[in-house]
Amino acid sequence: MKKFLYLILFSLLTFNFSLFTVTGCAKKDDVIKLGVAGPMTGDQAKMGTDFRNGVDLAVAEWNEKGGVLGKKIAMVVSDDQHDPKQAVSVANKMVNEGTVGVIGHFNSSCSIPASEVYNRAGIPMITPASTNPQLTERGFDNIFRVCGRDDQQGAVAADFVTNRLRLKKIAILHDKTTYGQGLANEFKKALGNKVEVVHYGGIIQGDKDFKAVLTVVKEKKPELIFFGGIYPEAALLVKQAKELGIKTPFMSGDGVIDPKFIEIAGPSAEGTYLTFSPDPVKIPTAKVFLDSYHKKYGDHGPYSIYAYDAANIMLTAIKDVKSTEGKKITEKLHTLEFNGALGTIKFDKKGDVTVAPYVIWITKGGKFEEYR
Amino acid sequence: MFFQQIINGLTLGAVYALIALGYTMVYGILQLINFAHGEVYMLGAYLGIIILGFLTSIGFTAISLPLAIIITLVLSMIFCSAYGMTIEKIAYKPLRNAPRLSPLISAIGVSIFLQNFVMLSQGATDRVFPPILKAEGLTFLNARITYLQIFILIASVLMMVGLHLFIMKTKLGKAMRATAQDRKMASLLGIDIDQVISITFIIGSGLAAAAGVMVAMYYGLVNYFIGYVAGIKAFTAAVLGGIGSIPGAMLGGIILGLMEALGASYISSEYKDAFAFGLLIIILILKPEGLLGRQVGDRS
Repeated sequence: MKKFLYLILFSLLTFNFSLFTVTGCAKKDDVIKLGVAGPMTGDQAKMGTDFRNGVDLAVAEWNEKGGVLGKKIAMVVSDDQHDPKQAVSVANKMVNEGTVGVIGHFNSSCSIPASEVYNRAGIPMITPASTNPQLTERGFDNIFRVCGRDDQQGAVAADFVTNRLRLKKIAILHDKTTYGQGLANEFKKALGNKVEVVHYGGIIQGDKDFKAVLTVVKEKKPELIFFGGIYPEAALLVKQAKELGIKTPFMSGDGVIDPKFIEIAGPSAEGTYLTFSPDPVKIPTAKVFLDSYHKKYGDHGPYSIYAYDAANIMLTAIKDVKSTEGKKITEKLHTLEFNGALGTIKFDKKGDVTVAPYVIWITKGGKFEEYR
Repeated sequence: MFFQQIINGLTLGAVYALIALGYTMVYGILQLINFAHGEVYMLGAYLGIIILGFLTSIGFTAISLPLAIIITLVLSMIFCSAYGMTIEKIAYKPLRNAPRLSPLISAIGVSIFLQNFVMLSQGATDRVFPPILKAEGLTFLNARITYLQIFILIASVLMMVGLHLFIMKTKLGKAMRATAQDRKMASLLGIDIDQVISITFIIGSGLAAAAGVMVAMYYGLVNYFIGYVAGIKAFTAAVLGGIGSIPGAMLGGIILGLMEALGASYISSEYKDAFAFGLLIIILILKPEGLLGRQVGDRS
C-alpha cells in the first residue's frame, strides 16, 4: 500500500513536467519517398526542424499540384542527432526504406560518412547546410549541396578581417568537429602571413565551461577571436568572455546564425561578426517562399530556404527524367538549371553550386543583420 | 592568469563537490552507486528555470532578485528531495536484499527513464535561463570574479559546512554514521534504517538540485542530458576523494575542478575531459580507496 502511495506521489511529481508532444506520420506504399535527415532532437534540434519544415513546404506544394509522376510524395524524416555514427545508420535506414533521394544531412561530420552509404546505394543526396569542402571532393557524383563551402566562407572572413577591419592579432578556436575545425583551418589558411595568429586551439563540443581557455586567450591580447563551430558553444563563449572582462569582438561562421545564439548569449552577443549568405528577406525571388513559410510554421530558420530549394530541385529532376532511378536523377541534377527561391542554382562537376555568395553579418540590437 | 584559473576551477569544483556528496553519502550507507543522481541534478536545473521563470512572470524578480534566487533554490531543493526519496522507495528499497548488481541496474533504468521523461515533457531543445543576471563582478589581482561566482562559492561552502555539522553534531547524523558503519548492528540498536536511508537520499538530492540551479544560472543553458556528464564527473570526484567519505567528496570535487581549469590552461583545452578521467584512472591504480577513503574489506 505504501509503495502504491509513493507511486502516486511520483506520478504527481512528474505531472508538473507535463505537456506532451506526439508527432505521427502516415505511411503508404504507393508514394514517392523523399528522405529528410538531420538533427531533429538534441541541442541542434532547431536547425533540423527548420529544414524539415522547408522540405515539408515544398512537398506540400508539389502534392497540392498532384505530386510527381502521378504519385503523392511522402517525407521520411530521420534523426541523426548530429552524431556521425547515428548518421550512418540513418543513411542505411533511408536506403532500406526505398527513398528516391535524400535532403540532408545538416552537419558536415554527418553528411560525409552518410554520403558514402548513399553513394554505394546510388541515391542522390542534396545537403542544404554542410559546408565542409571534403564532402564533394571525393569523386562521388551523386552528392550535391545548395550552400557554399568553408574554403569560400573562410576566405571571405579572412578578407574582411585583414582588409576591412585591418587587424593584426587573431585568436582562433574551433569545436574539433569536421565543420568547425574545417572552417577554422580555411580561415587560418586564408589569413596568410599578413596576420599573427596568437592562439589556435580546440574546445569540446557539448562542454559548458570555457573560462579556462578564454583566460588563456585573454592573456595573449588578440584583436579578434574567431570561432569555428555551432551556436550553443559560440553563445557560451561570448557570454563567458564578457564575464571575464574580455572586450575583444568575436567572429564566426554560418553555424552560429540562429536566434538561439542571441537568446543564450543575451547582450554579450552584440557586435559578433558572422559570415553567411545574403539575407533571404533581401532576395527578391524568396518572397513567395517566405510568405507561405511564415503562414505555416512561423519564423524561418537560416536554412529553411535552402532545404526548400533542395527539395524542389530533387523533385524537379525526378519529374524531368520521369523515373525514380537514382542514376538518371543524378545525371539530370548535374545539368539542371533551377530557378528557385534563392535565385538560379546550377551544380558544377563536383556537386557544388556554381555561385556561392557569402557576406558579412553582425549581431546588433538583438538581431542579425547584414553588415553595412 | 593563474589566479583567474583558480577562480574558474573553484567555481567548477564547488559544483562537482555538491553533486559528489550525493554519490558518496548513498554509497557510504547502501554501498550503491546511484547512477540516477546526475539526473536529479538535471531535474534541479530544469525546476530552477521553471520556478524562476514563473517568479519573473508574476513580477517578483523585479522586486528582489536575490530573494527570488533563494526562493528558487529552496523550492527546487525541496522538489528534488521528494524526487530522490521517491526514487529510493520505488527503485532501490525493494531490492535492498538483492545482489548488489540489481540495484545498480535499477539505478541505470531510473536514469534512462528520467532523461527521456524530461526530453518528452520539456522538449529536446536547449532551454535558456531567464536573462535576469548580468555579467557584473569584481576585478582584483588582474582576475575577474562575477557576483554569481561569489554566490555559488559561498552557497556551496555554507551547504557543505551545514552538512558537516549535521552529520557530526546531530542525533540523526550520528544515526547515519552508525548505519554507514554497520547497518545490521545499527538496526539492532534501535535505529530506524529506512528513515536514515530516506534522509540520505533527501539530503543528497537536495544538494544536487542546488548544484543544478546554480549551474543553470551560471551557464544560462540547460538540456535533458546535462546530468550524464555532470554525474560522471561528480562520480569521479567522489572516487578521487574516497567514495563513502564526505570530506573526501568535497576535496575531490575541488581538486577535479582545479585540475580541469589548470590542465586546460597550461596543457591543452582540447583534452579538458581527459584530465578528469585520466586522474580517475591514476587514482584507481595508485590509491584505490581514494585520497581520504579508508581501506575496508569486502563487505558484500
